[in-house]
Amino acid sequence: MGNLTESLMEELNCETVFTIPIFGGIDISESVVVTWIIMAVMVLIAFILGRNLRIDHISKRQAIAETIVTKLYSMVEGMTGPEGMKYTPYLVTVLVYIGIANIIGLFGFKSPTKDLNVTAALAIMSIILVEFAGIYQHGVKKWLHKFTEPIAIVTPINILEVFTRPLSLCMRLFGNVLGSFVIMKLIEMVVPIFLPTVFSLYFDIFDGLLQAYVFVFLTSLYIKEAVD
Amino acid sequence: MNTLIAIGAGIAVLGGLGAGIGIGIATGKATEAVARQPEAEGKISKTLILGCALAEATAIYGFVIALMIIIMLQ
Repeated sequence: MGNLTESLMEELNCETVFTIPIFGGIDISESVVVTWIIMAVMVLIAFILGRNLRIDHISKRQAIAETIVTKLYSMVEGMTGPEGMKYTPYLVTVLVYIGIANIIGLFGFKSPTKDLNVTAALAIMSIILVEFAGIYQHGVKKWLHKFTEPIAIVTPINILEVFTRPLSLCMRLFGNVLGSFVIMKLIEMVVPIFLPTVFSLYFDIFDGLLQAYVFVFLTSLYIKEAVD
Repeated sequence: MNTLIAIGAGIAVLGGLGAGIGIGIATGKATEAVARQPEAEGKISKTLILGCALAEATAIYGFVIALMIIIMLQ
């Protein structure tokens, strides 16, 4: 038991890899470095798939790229509705990022979504986008007025929602990734062979991708509500 | 002290009860819906998976809190 607690604590702590020596030292933690790796992979894939695009006589590579982009776009656009369509690129990027971040644990990296700061940052970005979408669509006056809808008495609850929404987004993603990670560790401790492989299919791959989907779904639901 | 910590963690995990009941009800209703309208299966299963993922969150919160109790208090 003590051994397990120790190894869990070691995984939970996000160590500082190095420090940038400006402004009195900025700590770069492990999750940031893994995020850079994911970014590099995503940019590389986008670069390879996005070269030499043509209108007619498309190559196989371009066909693959078009399929991926249209599939992801149509998935997100179905959730945001026609008004929120301009936020699709951001949502798709977050979807791909969280998806890769959740399954990168399989390749021996520490997944960045296991760091509470990363999920908190994602949730704060989401809520800023949601409120911005509301202001951009309706103007400040109508946006403020929306807090008193449908009746004036719910105003405190509506204001509270601005804070509870990112909190629940952040905690849901973090808790799910951490939970599946801990369960995988426990299974590996009890049965070290074969069984972890089967469960890893569910906990690492299915659950990780599902949580990415849920995060983007909720964000787009909020955006849809804000621009309505 | 250790016993109390274990009991506290156990109580925190009780939150999983709600998630279990919720997912059970959702799956039952989804089965009914598919039986009534088999052609809408794709839409129903998509909604079901999403609902389950959301209902699961309560269980996850309980689990995280139990874990924190064990790790922080020891």
